[in-house]
Amino acid sequence: MNELAIKDLLYKLADDELILGHRNSEWTGFGPILEEDIAFSSMAQDKIGHSLAFYTLLNELGEADPDTVAFTRNAEQFHNSQLVELPNGEYDFSLIRHFLYDNAEIVRFEMLSRSSYEPIAKVATKLKGEVKYHVLHANTWIKNLGASTEEAILRLQSSLNEALPYALGMFEPSKYEQELIDAGVYEGEEAVKAEWLKRIQAVLEKTDLKLPDLESIEPKFGGRYGQHTEHLQPLLDEMAEVFKIDPTAEW
Amino acid sequence: MYGGGNVFEATKFDTLQNEDPVKMAEFEARIERGEKIEPNDWMPELYRKQLIRMIEQHAHSEIIGSLPEGTWITRAPGFRRKLAQMAKVQDEVGHAQLLYSAAETLGKSREQMLTDLINGKSKYSNVFNYPAFTWADSNIISWLIDAGAIVNQLANAKGSYGPYCRALDRICAEEAFHLKYGHDAVVHMATGSAKQREMIQAALNRWWTPIMHFFGPPDKMSTHTEILMKWKVKMASNDDMRQQFLDMYVPKIWELGLTLPDPNLKKNAETGKWDYTEPDWEEFKRVINGDGPCNAERLAVRRTAEERGAWVRRALLNPKSKYVKPLA
Amino acid sequence: MSLTSLDPRVTRLNLPEGEQPPVEAKPVLDQFETYETFHQKKEGTAYTYVGPVHAPNEEVAFLFSKEQYSRRAACTGMWVARTSHIMVTPYVGDGENVYDAIRTEEPTERSEQPEAYEIFHLKKRGKAHTHAGRVEATSYQEALQEAKKAFGDKGPIVNVWVVKSKHVFRNNEEDKDMWLTIPDKKYRDAVAYKVMDKITKYKEENKTTAVQ
Repeated sequence: MNELAIKDLLYKLADDELILGHRNSEWTGFGPILEEDIAFSSMAQDKIGHSLAFYTLLNELGEADPDTVAFTRNAEQFHNSQLVELPNGEYDFSLIRHFLYDNAEIVRFEMLSRSSYEPIAKVATKLKGEVKYHVLHANTWIKNLGASTEEAILRLQSSLNEALPYALGMFEPSKYEQELIDAGVYEGEEAVKAEWLKRIQAVLEKTDLKLPDLESIEPKFGGRYGQHTEHLQPLLDEMAEVFKIDPTAEW
Repeated sequence: MYGGGNVFEATKFDTLQNEDPVKMAEFEARIERGEKIEPNDWMPELYRKQLIRMIEQHAHSEIIGSLPEGTWITRAPGFRRKLAQMAKVQDEVGHAQLLYSAAETLGKSREQMLTDLINGKSKYSNVFNYPAFTWADSNIISWLIDAGAIVNQLANAKGSYGPYCRALDRICAEEAFHLKYGHDAVVHMATGSAKQREMIQAALNRWWTPIMHFFGPPDKMSTHTEILMKWKVKMASNDDMRQQFLDMYVPKIWELGLTLPDPNLKKNAETGKWDYTEPDWEEFKRVINGDGPCNAERLAVRRTAEERGAWVRRALLNPKSKYVKPLA
Repeated sequence: MSLTSLDPRVTRLNLPEGEQPPVEAKPVLDQFETYETFHQKKEGTAYTYVGPVHAPNEEVAFLFSKEQYSRRAACTGMWVARTSHIMVTPYVGDGENVYDAIRTEEPTERSEQPEAYEIFHLKKRGKAHTHAGRVEATSYQEALQEAKKAFGDKGPIVNVWVVKSKHVFRNNEEDKDMWLTIPDKKYRDAVAYKVMDKITKYKEENKTTAVQ
């Protein structure tokens, strides 16, 4: 199996998790109610933990150690989708992003737990339970808020419309797509997207939210190839501010 | 995280004289026997009032206390610190939740407590009105402010009110991680590069006065709290807690070759107690009454968080539901 | 002008600078109603009370309880019940048995068919209620009588909670893997932080400079 293809897959998984975990951690202490603040922080920690697990696999394949990889690269070296780097906005946007992202993540993890590449399969199998809670959390919130007040429905609908082009960007195919599929490592972005769509539709149907016609939306691609919005580099600079005081130091 | 810097009201004995003497005798006998008071028990109004005040201040200290270290949550260096910093700040929010619940069992709603916090009507520990300038400040808070809080909380966990004790048992268990994490981070800085060492020493210098303030004014300056000690509401005197803290942590600071900005700080061989320069108690009063470096920001953040989350709470409010205070 | 903070997150909140007028009192139920949470530490052990959460309904209460009460220690299951659905007996003193003190009251409401009730005991003041078992009854009062017969003679019991089984929200059996990785999260665990080696090494290298 082409190692570059495996690395590409691991980088996009890891970078998505790191950046979203970082973004979600910004909510700690600012959430809409204490209990939700706690739940959201746990999920952010899980995401950072997932990224660490994937960077560790990369390290075993000869890449630099996880701290170096996460804290010293520049935006154009990151493979995350643009969806995860967008600023948090209000809680409606953060929730919608959480819903769109985690419903894709659970599909990825379920598929990866069957991967022919054993190290990934092992990690995905182990961490699947955490993502299950993330999805339960996201879906419960969307079902509750999406069928509540006019104010909440309007907010969520507008965030959904705003986030969708970026969410579709998650499924940007890699240049190794067919190779990974043929080797049974990964079932590919088209397959993830199809299953994701079924799942989010099933939830949205129980609400007053409308899923726009996806055919009419231009996906925001580029993230998987290092093209990012203006929001990623400042995020990375902030994340590495202390680390870069002395990258060789033990903090 | 919480210190003895809480403000008790002066005891008004006339309020006690209105209490039923038979019930009062039973109540005091129960505490004397070492039994806990549970929410539905009869209790003197003064006991209820002081407990609400104390537990509420403690809860506010946790939610506001999440902000100084929260300052560094997006900048913690490396995975190990990043994860731990997130978990620690999260714990502070979790502790607030537990403590507000304990206070609620006494009859004050969380809505009212949050309103009183934002409007400056109720207090919280004064240390959280100081800024965390650098990552090292955050490490000092994690280690030494939490260490101080544990001294206070371990004492209070032996108090008489059941729900508060249950909350504190859980909190103390979680803070064991905070303390070790904070110590670990400080040790890394102190034994690291010259720059790291300089950062941690500077932070320690900045935080020493707030730390000395943390346990509250000296006993000779404090409101008389005998009745609260008897009822096991207040469990240790401010000076005793400060001494206990100095005894446990000054040697751990000195062994790292760090210095403390008080030339008079030493253990007195004769008394077995620590001698130190009294910190500026006028500053303490000023800060606790609202005029500290970060009071305005801390409350503004809390206020904005509540306002920004209001639409979520409005949307999920079920008008048919009925508030019942937590059971225990 | 908005406030510039040392915390970049706070700066991004665009807080207004200067003094703000007092806020209005929060409306009633702004923080929702309360639910009580019980957790199971290990398969086969009794569910134990861990504390309340505020939530708009039981499924959200479950989401909240899971992270507030089981993010730190091993857990194999969680129950959540609306506080207003739990019937509470009076408390007696430590060492006494509350079942001896309860007078038989006429039920205010009775179901046609017996249904299941969960019984929780508090063995000592200040401790946590634990699940004693389940009984079948047509009312809370009858459930308490049945509980007395079934588990009422097991040492001191200072207080009892009774709740209908149908009012207890439980996790799905197949979702238990949500708790699978909790013991692996060492960064939240005090034992993961060991610095004695660094301290010893420092002290050895700096014998002359370390004061006292």
